[in-house]
Amino acid sequence: MEKVKAVVEGVASHMSDLVPPRHVAAPDEWTAPPTPGSSFGVTETTAEESRSDAAGAASQPVPDPTSVLDDITEQVAGVRGAVLASVDGFGLARSGSMADEASHPAMLAAAIGLARQLASMGGGDQLRQLVVDHDAGLMLIWPIGPQRVLAVLASSRVDQRQLRSVVQLGVATLVGATA
Amino acid sequence: MTQTFKILVTGPFAAGKTSMIQSVSQTKVISTDVVTSGDESEVKSHTTVAMDFGTYRLADDDTRLLLFGTPGQARFRFMTNILKGDADVVAFVIDAEAIETHAAAGVELRALLRDLRVPAVVAVNRCDDLEMARRLARSLGALAGEAVVPCQLIDPDSGREVVVEILLTLLASMESTKAEVA
Repeated sequence: MEKVKAVVEGVASHMSDLVPPRHVAAPDEWTAPPTPGSSFGVTETTAEESRSDAAGAASQPVPDPTSVLDDITEQVAGVRGAVLASVDGFGLARSGSMADEASHPAMLAAAIGLARQLASMGGGDQLRQLVVDHDAGLMLIWPIGPQRVLAVLASSRVDQRQLRSVVQLGVATLVGATA
Repeated sequence: MTQTFKILVTGPFAAGKTSMIQSVSQTKVISTDVVTSGDESEVKSHTTVAMDFGTYRLADDDTRLLLFGTPGQARFRFMTNILKGDADVVAFVIDAEAIETHAAAGVELRALLRDLRVPAVVAVNRCDDLEMARRLARSLGALAGEAVVPCQLIDPDSGREVVVEILLTLLASMESTKAEVA
């Protein structure tokens, strides 16, 4: 039988050996609550901003979210794939290594939705990450701003520190591009 | 001794499942609402992605209902499969006016009843006419004896009428079990 452990950081502090502490794992700007103008909170643009974005689009190359996920998959040894979903369960992008399966983004949305409630059961206000530790590897799931979810599938021996820094860079471009 | 019953609250997207649980639960509802995107955001602003959980206890009786609400969209069907185990009653919520959801809802309700072998209570939302509600419930696959409640789930009192039917249905199924044993 497959053994699956889902760990919400902050609920299970004894997992800190597997999940590096936050000051290493998830720098503030990654998980900070959305504030207007911050690079991670920007998911809504006003009409005025949209116009200025459109004007600037010609001069600034817009990174394709699929290529960002492919880069994460290729740059970090042991990473098998990545999926970006909306919080209501639609697929927004996936690395070339992932199958196009409608239930995958839906499962990510459901898991994050439930994990937020588990965080509040643990006394927390903000979910930082969800770890699914299973016999075939790890799945790390992060809320990206208030409306998106990113999942990375990796081997159990993946260098989580390296993974996080690569993901963080990728996310910064994603937020700039697809917000 | 308290008797606890599990009620599966399910039905199509935007039928009124979360509203029903919110209106009847006596404890704070555990909810997994998020903002909708794309075409669904034109129907409503928020949607359930994992589950709703609420409870209802009869004041003068040791009967407790645990209400497990599912998401409505087909892409979340795996959540219904997780939540449906050991349900005692299926409370199936359908929006009478969202005609485009009825065909798929019928397929879903028939499959659930075949699988779970428990009675259903069909809550026909945005409907005031019992006869019309009955016809709709029968067309979805509800059996002749199953409870049908026309309701306006935007109104909390309407949710309580659904709970009354759930309780009556539980009572009837306990009595028929007793009769079989005797």
